[in-house]
Amino acid sequence: MLESRSVPVRKVWAVIRREFVERVRTKWFWISAILGPVLFAGIIVFQIVQSVGGAERHIAVVDSTSSDYGTRVVESLGGSRLIRATRVQAGPGVIDSLTRLVEAKQLNGFLIISDQLTETGKAEYRASNLSLQTIEELQRALNRLLVKVRLEERGVNPAVVEYAQSLRVTLDQKKIARGRTTEESAGQSFIMAYVIAILLFMAILLYGVNVMSSVLEEKRDRIVEVLVSSLRPFQLMLGKVFGAGAVSFFQFLIWGVSARVLISMRGPIARALGADAASAQSMVLPHIPFATLAVFMAFFLGGFLLYSAMFAAVGAMSSNEQEARQAQQPVTYLLMISYLSIIGLTNDPSSTFAKTLSIVPFTSPIATPVRWTAGSMGTGELVLSLAMLAIAIVGVTWVAARIYRVGILMTGKRPTLKELVRWVRTA
Amino acid sequence: MSDPVVVDRVTKRFAGHTAVDALSLSVPSGLIYGLLGPNGAGKTTTLRMIMDIYEPDSGSVRLFDQVGGGRMHSARIGYLPEERGLYPKMRVLDVLVFLAETKGVARRAARVKALEWLDRLGLNDWRLRKVSELSKGMQQKVQFISTMLHDPDLVILDEPFSGLDPVNSQVLRDTVLDYRRRGKTVLFSTHIMEHAEKLCDRLCIIARGKKLIDGSLAEVKGTHGGKHVIVEFDGSQGGARQVFGDRRLVAKLQDFGQHAELELAPGADAQEILRALVISGARLSRFELASPSLHKIFVDLVGPDAATAAANPANAREPERAGA
Repeated sequence: MLESRSVPVRKVWAVIRREFVERVRTKWFWISAILGPVLFAGIIVFQIVQSVGGAERHIAVVDSTSSDYGTRVVESLGGSRLIRATRVQAGPGVIDSLTRLVEAKQLNGFLIISDQLTETGKAEYRASNLSLQTIEELQRALNRLLVKVRLEERGVNPAVVEYAQSLRVTLDQKKIARGRTTEESAGQSFIMAYVIAILLFMAILLYGVNVMSSVLEEKRDRIVEVLVSSLRPFQLMLGKVFGAGAVSFFQFLIWGVSARVLISMRGPIARALGADAASAQSMVLPHIPFATLAVFMAFFLGGFLLYSAMFAAVGAMSSNEQEARQAQQPVTYLLMISYLSIIGLTNDPSSTFAKTLSIVPFTSPIATPVRWTAGSMGTGELVLSLAMLAIAIVGVTWVAARIYRVGILMTGKRPTLKELVRWVRTA
Repeated sequence: MSDPVVVDRVTKRFAGHTAVDALSLSVPSGLIYGLLGPNGAGKTTTLRMIMDIYEPDSGSVRLFDQVGGGRMHSARIGYLPEERGLYPKMRVLDVLVFLAETKGVARRAARVKALEWLDRLGLNDWRLRKVSELSKGMQQKVQFISTMLHDPDLVILDEPFSGLDPVNSQVLRDTVLDYRRRGKTVLFSTHIMEHAEKLCDRLCIIARGKKLIDGSLAEVKGTHGGKHVIVEFDGSQGGARQVFGDRRLVAKLQDFGQHAELELAPGADAQEILRALVISGARLSRFELASPSLHKIFVDLVGPDAATAAANPANAREPERAGA
C-alpha cells in the first residue's frame, strides 16, 4: 500500500492548518489584530482634532523696528488659520520674559524683527517646537511684507502692490506614472512609499521570526522526530512557512478591512468630535491603485518566502532561544539593509543605488514596491526584479531545506560555518 | 510474503565514528523483536535508518517488501522515538488528530479513533485540556496513543520503557502483547534485559554498531553459554565460596551475595555441585538448573564495562548524533 499522490499534499496541508489554527488561537494574535485598528482610529481622530483647531499657535512679534513693521506683520498674519500673533514692543527683559512664557507653555514662540528685516531680510523665530507649517507661514507673511515695503520705498503705489499680491499661485500636483496621470502630491507619494516599506519590513521580520520560533519549539519539545518519520523535512518546512504566511495574510486582512471601515466612518467620527464632516471628508487619503496592491502583495509573499526559509534554517540549527537570537542576526542584518535604505530610496527612487537594491533579491522585496509606488519603475524592471527574487527563493529554500533537514535532529552546540557547509553538501 | 523489516548490511558513519557497521537483521511478521545493546551501540541510529530519518551510507532497508524506509509507509508504521515530545500548548485531542493526519489518516477518521483511544486509556476528560496540563504519566499515554492510533501493521519503539512508571509500563506491555495477538509486528530497542526477556520472541544483540548474535530467545539461550545453576542461600553460606571457586566445577560465577548464578565447567555435573555445597555446610533455599538469563548472555557478549553502563540508565544518553 504505497501512498497515493494526494497524501503528501494532505500531510503538508495538515501542517499548514495546525500552524495557522494554533497561532490564531494565541492571545498575541488578537492583541495585535486589535491594536492595528485602534492605532489607525487614533490617527484619524488625531487628524480630525487637529483640523478642528486644537493646533492653533499663539506667538508674539517682538518689534524693534523704527517704522512699526510689527503691526503690519501681525496684520498680514491675521488671515492665517494657524497662527494668532500679538505685537510686543521690544525692550529690556522682554526676550527673557517671553522665553519664560514659552517654557511655561503659555506661548508657542516669538518672532523677533528689527530694521535689519528690510535691509538684509533677516528675522528670528524662537519656539519650543519648530513646526514646519508655522515656519512656512511666517516666512510667507514676512516675504509679502518685505516685497510690499521695498516697492513702496521706490514709490510704487500701495494699491498696485496690493493688486500684485492679491493673487497666489496654486500648483496642482499630478503624478505621471505608467501612462496614467493621477492626483497625488509629492508628499503623498513619499508617505505611501514610506509606509509600504515599513509595513513590509515589519511583516517579513515578524512572521519570519515566527517561523523560526515554531521550528525551534518543535525541536525543543522533541516533536520533530515523530514528524520527520512521516513527513519529509522539506514538507514540514513548507507547511510551516505557508502556515505562518497564512497567519500574516489573515492579520493584514483584519487590518485592511478595519481600516476600510474606519475610513468610511470618518464622517460620523468627525461629527462626534465636533468637527464638520466636510473637513473630515477632505482628509487626504492616498489612492492605492490595484497594480500597487498587487506588487505589494507579490513582493511581500516573495520576501516572506525568502526570509522565512532562512529563519527556518536558523531555527533548525539552534537548540534554544539564545542561540537562535544570535544565529538570526545575519539574516536580520540582511533585511536591515533595505530598512536602512528606505530614506535614500524614497528621496530618489530612480538612482542607481535604488535600481541596484530593487534587483538584488535580498533587498528587492522592500525596494521594488517602494520604487513602484513612487512611479519610477518600468514593467520591464519589475519583471526582472520578480524573476531574480523567484530564482533566489528557489536557491535559498534549497539550501535552507538541507540545513533544516540535518539541523532539526541535532542537539548540542551550534554548528560552525564549516559544518553548515558540510550539511548543505551532504544532506 | 517476506519479513516486514529487512535491514541489509547498513552502515552509518558520523563525524569520527561508525555508529552502525554493516548490520543486517530481519524482523518476521507477527512477532515481537528486540534490538538489544548497551548505550551507544547504534540502536537508535538503526531504527532511524529504518524510519528513513537517516539515510544509510551503504546497505539498504526494505519494508513490507519494498525498497525505502518508513516515511513511504507511514500509514502502516507506528514509531515511538526515544526522544518523546508533544506540543505542550495544544489540546490533547488536536495533537492526536494532527499526528494521525501527518501519517495520512483522514481528519474525521483520526478524530473518531483518537476519542476511542482516549476513552480506553481513561483520558476522556482530558481531551480538551492542553498537553502541558497533563501529568507526565498521562503525557506518556497520549504518546502511545499517537503511535498506535492509525492501527499500524508494524510498531517500532525506541527504548519504550525508559521513563515509564510501572502502571504505564504495564499498559505498554499489554498493548504490545495485544498487537502481537492480532498478528502485527513489533520491533523495539532496549538496554534493559528483563524487559526483553519477558517480551521478545526474537532478538538481536548489537554493540559498537555490530551484530553479536540474533535468533529466537530459545536459540540465543541455547547456543550461548553452557548449563546454568541458580543458587539461593538461606542464611549460612558455609563453605560455598570454596565450591564456587573450584574451576573443575564452575566455569563462571555471578555472585549477588545471597544469590548466585553459576555456569558449569565443561563436563561438570550439577549434582556434584549440590553435594559439595551440602557438605560445605551451606543452607540452600533454592537450587535450580536453568538456562542462562538474557542479562548473563548480554554481559558475556558485551563485556562487563558496557553492561554496567547499560544497567545504569542515569547515563542513558546515546552519543549517536551527528557532530556529537
